[in-house]
Order: sequence, then C-alpha cells, then structure tokens
Amino acid sequence: MKAFVFTDKALARRTGQFVWLAIDTEKAVNAPFLTKFPVQVWPSFYVLDASSETVALRWVGGATVPQLQKILDDGQAAVGGRGRASEQVLARADRLYGEGKNKEAAEAYREALANAPRAWPRYARTVESLLFALQASHESEACATTAREAFTRLRRTASAANVAASGLGCALELPAENPRRADLVASLEEDARRVLVDKDVPMAADDRSSVFISLFDARGDAKDEEGKKRVASAWASFLEGEAARAKSPEARAVFDSHRLSAYLDLQEPERAIPMLEASERDLPDDYNPPARLAAAYKAMKRYDDALAASDRALVKAYGPRKLLILQTRADIYAAKGDSAAARRTLEGALQTAESLPAGQRSEGAIAAIKKKLEATP
Amino acid sequence: MRWNRAISAFLALSSTVSVAGATASAPREVLPFIADDYPRALAEARARKLPIFVEAWAPW
Repeated sequence: MKAFVFTDKALARRTGQFVWLAIDTEKAVNAPFLTKFPVQVWPSFYVLDASSETVALRWVGGATVPQLQKILDDGQAAVGGRGRASEQVLARADRLYGEGKNKEAAEAYREALANAPRAWPRYARTVESLLFALQASHESEACATTAREAFTRLRRTASAANVAASGLGCALELPAENPRRADLVASLEEDARRVLVDKDVPMAADDRSSVFISLFDARGDAKDEEGKKRVASAWASFLEGEAARAKSPEARAVFDSHRLSAYLDLQEPERAIPMLEASERDLPDDYNPPARLAAAYKAMKRYDDALAASDRALVKAYGPRKLLILQTRADIYAAKGDSAAARRTLEGALQTAESLPAGQRSEGAIAAIKKKLEATP
Repeated sequence: MRWNRAISAFLALSSTVSVAGATASAPREVLPFIADDYPRALAEARARKLPIFVEAWAPW
C-alpha cells in the first residue's frame, strides 16, 4: 500500500478530511495502541471516531485506490452517523467487526445486505468484510456459499479476486464428509480461474497473487502434483512480471515474499537468491531480504549460508517478527544436525516472546515455541 | 489453514519495506501520515474534530 496506493495523487484531496496515522505493529512504542485495537491481519485499516475512541470502520488486506476512496467515504459516513437504514446497519457491522466481534459482525453485514437497495454502492465492500468475518468465525460453508453467490455479481470488479480466493479457501476448509464440499470447491476453483483469465479487470497485484495461492492449495487438495506445479509456475511468472514493472527497489521488493513462496512451492529455491541479494543490497536497513535468504538457503541445504543470512537479519530485526527468524534459525540448526544449538535458539526465542509487551505478546506464539522445544531432542 | 496461508502471504505482499531503506527514486506518500504516535494523532483529531484513519502495518 505504501509503495503503490498511498503514493497516488488522487488521494491528495483527502488530506484535510482525516488525521492520518501509520502504526508499525512491530514497534514496542505501539503496544498500547495494539492493546486497545488488536490487529489480527496485516495490513489492517481503521477509521476511528476520535471523540469516543471507537472503531467506525475496519478493512483488512490491500485495496486499490478506488476501493480506498470508498472506504474513506464509508468511514466518514459511519463516524457522522449519516446514511439510510442499510448504511446505519453497515456502520453497526463495521463497529462490531472493528471490535473483533466477527460472529456478530457477520450477522449485521448480512442484515445490511438484505436491506440494501439493488445497486448498492457498498455491496462489494460489505461482501468482502462479511467473508472475512465468516472465515474468522470458522463458518466455512456460509463463507463459501456467500462467495459463490457474490462472485456472479462481482466478477468484473476489483473485489473478484478476494471473493474467489477467500471462498475457495473456505470451501477447502470444509470437512471431507460435507456433502456440498466437492461442488463448492469445483465451482469456486472455476471462479478463481476466471479471475486470472480476466486480465482487464483492475485489481491489486496482491489480490491476484492470493488467487494463485488458493488455486495451488486446491490442486494440492485434489492431490494433483502436475496441477500444483502448473499453478506455481504461472504464479512465479506473474510475480516476476509485476516485479519487473516496479519503479523502485521498494516496489520491487514488495513481491519478494510471494516470489519466495512460489519458488519454494516449485522446489526451486535457488531462483530466489538473485532477487533477495538485490533487495538486501538496495534496502540495507531492511531485515526481510536476509531473513528470506536464510529460508531459501535452508531449502537448498546450504546451512552455513543460511545461518550467515540469519545473523544479518537478526541484527536488524525487532518486534514479534524476530520470533519467526529465530524459529527458522532453529530449523536450520536442526537440519544441520545440531540439536543443542537448535534448543538454545528456541529457548532464546521463548524468552523474547515472553518479554514482549501486552499488545504484542502472543500466547499462541509462546505455545508454538514451547511445542517446538518439546519436539527438539 | 489454507486460508491463513493465503492471507498471510498476500498480507506480506501488501505490506511494505523499511522506510529507513527508502531511496530517492521511491515515490512519496501523498498523505501526511503521523508515524507511530497515537496520542498525538488523537489529540490532533479531537482538536480539529476529524476522524482518524489508521494504517496498521508491519515491515514484512
């Protein structure tokens, strides 16, 4: 968003309409904010009513400039309490969603949709928020069914990718004995393929990339190794094309994470090395390129190179992300056959996890490290 | 979960890189973001009677 959306001059007219705040959730200084407004997904966007310090609207994931404009319009309306009945219900749903009450939010989003006029301009945003609320509430069948129904209406919009990808993800979560599973997976996989074919529809590159991920998972679910490879290969080509068009090292490096995933899925980690070396050179203060290099070298079984890259990442890393780098480091030691070093690293990670301030501290992360420690001889 | 894999990966992509690593060629944000200072943003918003738009991000 910083590299592609917040640089768009069309947003300049919005300057005086909000106070703009950027919160790096990895920084300890922001822990009090995170205690008040827990962030579950990155990036997340909020419109806050400053008078009451309440969330008027929340949006998760990326957005195109037109989508962001709508979010800003809706946020203003929600704070001002303006709008017709469906907007009022939507504002209530957004408040619940912002408070992390996903089940209640899903009900309110459904109510807003049920009461909305035919060509409601907030339909797409409402559907996307509903899908996330349903997924977060583990209502997989409702999520998949909603996505299926909404896709027909949204297939030519910027929301198509998110709707298809999230719906397919939910369908794949359904238990094997669910009688609707096969039909939902098949139809949503078809929808997802349509999104990729329809290159004229403007949508964020990350949204399109998420469709590849869902399709890869769908082929994995079908135990179709050839199909998985085909999807991963097309995914890598797409990301390479996007990276080649990037106008700055920052904009290019935005694709590093997904490209690494695609190369790992293709079992060709060596393809990630040149791009990550370039990012490390161009962005010397960023811990991500060496952290990703450590993962790539580990997959190549070049353990000493992996540890050296991990060293460089740890010098620059801060906040909760350091835990992931330490866990990868422990995996490198374990793969190398050095269990003692793996244990020591995990013990260090546990200490770091337990020392994080409220708002950044995660009991789930602590439990995961403890579990890993127990499994390490 | 599969969804989580997709979500975490796309979120990583949506995220950004260290501002400290910015170069002169990088396009600039057009909105006047206050960085990492909620109390200041809140005070300013109350004084100007404006809502706050928050981008919660991580450098990965």
